Amino acid sequence: MAKYIIKRVLRSLLTMFIIITILFALLRLMPIEGYFENFDKMSSTQIQVKLNSLGLNDPLPKQLMRFYQQLLQGDLGVSNVYRRGVAITEIIGEKIPISIKLGLISLCISLAVGLPLGILMARSTRTRFKIGDRLGTVFIVIVQAVPSAVYHILIQFAGSQTYIGKEILGFPMLFDAANPKSYILPVISLSIGSIAYYAMWLRRYMVDESNKDYIRLARAKGVPGGAISRRHVFRNAFVPMVQYIRNSILFTLMGSLYVESLYSVPGMGGLLVTAIKRQDNTLVQALVLIYAVISILGLLFGDILMGIVDPRISFAKKEGAR
Amino acid sequence: MGEQLQNPILSIEDLNVKFTLRGQVLHAIRGVSLDVHPGESIAIVGESGSGKSVFVKCTMGLLDANGQITGGAIRYNGMDLTSFRTDEDWLKIRGREIAMVFQDPMTSLNPLKTIGKQIQEAVELHQGLKGAAAYRAVLEVLSDVGIDDAPRRYKQYPHEFSGGMRQRVVIAIAVACRPRILICDEPTTALDVTIQTQILELIKAMQKKYNLTTIYITHDLGVVANVADRIAVMYAGDIVEVGTCEEVFYDPRHPYTWALLSSLPQLGVKNEPLYAIQGTPPNLFHEIRGDAFAPRNPRALKIDFLERPPMFAVTQTHKARTWLLDPRAPQVAPPEHIRALREKGGNPYA
Repeated sequence: MAKYIIKRVLRSLLTMFIIITILFALLRLMPIEGYFENFDKMSSTQIQVKLNSLGLNDPLPKQLMRFYQQLLQGDLGVSNVYRRGVAITEIIGEKIPISIKLGLISLCISLAVGLPLGILMARSTRTRFKIGDRLGTVFIVIVQAVPSAVYHILIQFAGSQTYIGKEILGFPMLFDAANPKSYILPVISLSIGSIAYYAMWLRRYMVDESNKDYIRLARAKGVPGGAISRRHVFRNAFVPMVQYIRNSILFTLMGSLYVESLYSVPGMGGLLVTAIKRQDNTLVQALVLIYAVISILGLLFGDILMGIVDPRISFAKKEGAR
Repeated sequence: MGEQLQNPILSIEDLNVKFTLRGQVLHAIRGVSLDVHPGESIAIVGESGSGKSVFVKCTMGLLDANGQITGGAIRYNGMDLTSFRTDEDWLKIRGREIAMVFQDPMTSLNPLKTIGKQIQEAVELHQGLKGAAAYRAVLEVLSDVGIDDAPRRYKQYPHEFSGGMRQRVVIAIAVACRPRILICDEPTTALDVTIQTQILELIKAMQKKYNLTTIYITHDLGVVANVADRIAVMYAGDIVEVGTCEEVFYDPRHPYTWALLSSLPQLGVKNEPLYAIQGTPPNLFHEIRGDAFAPRNPRALKIDFLERPPMFAVTQTHKARTWLLDPRAPQVAPPEHIRALREKGGNPYA
């Protein structure tokens, strides 16, 4: 297992190295306007002076080596347009914790609600009228079919109203990092989609599992229904779920563009879009790099987790006969 | 047979099972009665779809959700199992009294649990052992079923076992429940021919060691000849003939049993085409009139199409549901090779 993890980490490092190099090459192809705040008003000598000071007129190999060095020191460069002269690590350092905080809260909530909902639905398919399954399906279909923009606005609107003159819901409409009550609506918005998603897939995998022969054998050997659900059905249905959970952790770190702008959350969502629109080359470069690293780490984490939950995945070479 | 005089351990009377499929009703078991005696091993034979699996599933409450027992009784230990409604009721029976070995060992074990844990689950449920004592019991039953190096095997997963070994594990789970009745639903069908005999020998050994009553379900008459004391022949949801192994093999009375035995390749003559029963089994969605086998029976009597024959007793242990046994019936001789079999007095497998 340890050997496998080391191998995967080394391979991930290699992937990262390749991505960084390609990213560097791509950004050299970008127009140089992206390094200036007011390119149009500058004379060509001014531009050359600036380029020289940024080291952009050096030979490419020299630039590449410098790029690697800076990255190793954790220096992502300085923003040129978005917030001129401010270190990119500082810009991101303010934003990423907010996205992660909201994202992790909503991840926990969607797991805590979505998984039990899926279990409930799967168990209810065995009952006579399947009420739980039907209600759950209605919820899932609504969440999946209605465009998310619509229900986010509904949540924001309904959640912030005062009813019958009393503050029953009346949560703040906009996010304010200092006010815990203002977290509630964005978190609901962020988690409702994943709740439906988890419930749908877990239900499906559990129904699949409960028709397997070994579940019949477990029933035939006299294991009570609840224990079958827990020990055999849920446990086995959870294996394919690992991939979904890994994906949603990745999305969490990237922040949600729509939800963050709706509740005016100063998070990561939309930062990349803004940076590209405003042609801030160094910021784009840094963000792409961060997302690439997060994705690679996510894949690594998912594979390791998969190996832990599924014993059929073997890390070592097969020994002897099967 | 002395054991016939004992009280049956499991007694099924006039059992009827119906399935509802897309609004249509399928009459899968049509009034079947069978007594199972303690310590014996009985084989239920019949072709695919004859209802043999459904029949035994009723005794464990494992019918699919669209199936229902519509009549009759299953008596076990003073209880009528047909009155059971909830899983809690059935927990008194499943494993504890009746255990089952399924057909396909490749799929009947949980792929994510070590085989040790899966056996231990049965041990903890039914032998009331915990922890280290349960672990020791698992190792013991593992070596009982012929799995060497039990402590290492305990920690392995099903994918590390071959088909035959997995079936041994399934049998270990069944006997670890300490049941009184062991139902083997085609225990060797999915296995290699060379492994089949080993598994049958193992089941026989377990039967002796743990004093089990065994019910085999199979369509393989070779298996039957090897293991069964008694045979019940099923056709279209009904038991058409029941008797001791010798009686059914050497003195069959029902035309379906004749046809079934005739289709054994071992009875065929070299260079001649093998015998096959003509036609197809009846559609159980329709109501069956008379003898279900009559349309495929070239020797059928007129009454076979009109009225369902009762069970006639040939001897104390041998019964068949055919009008041929009625005193008024004309003498219809069985096919030649069936008679030859009787004269030979030999088991075609012996």
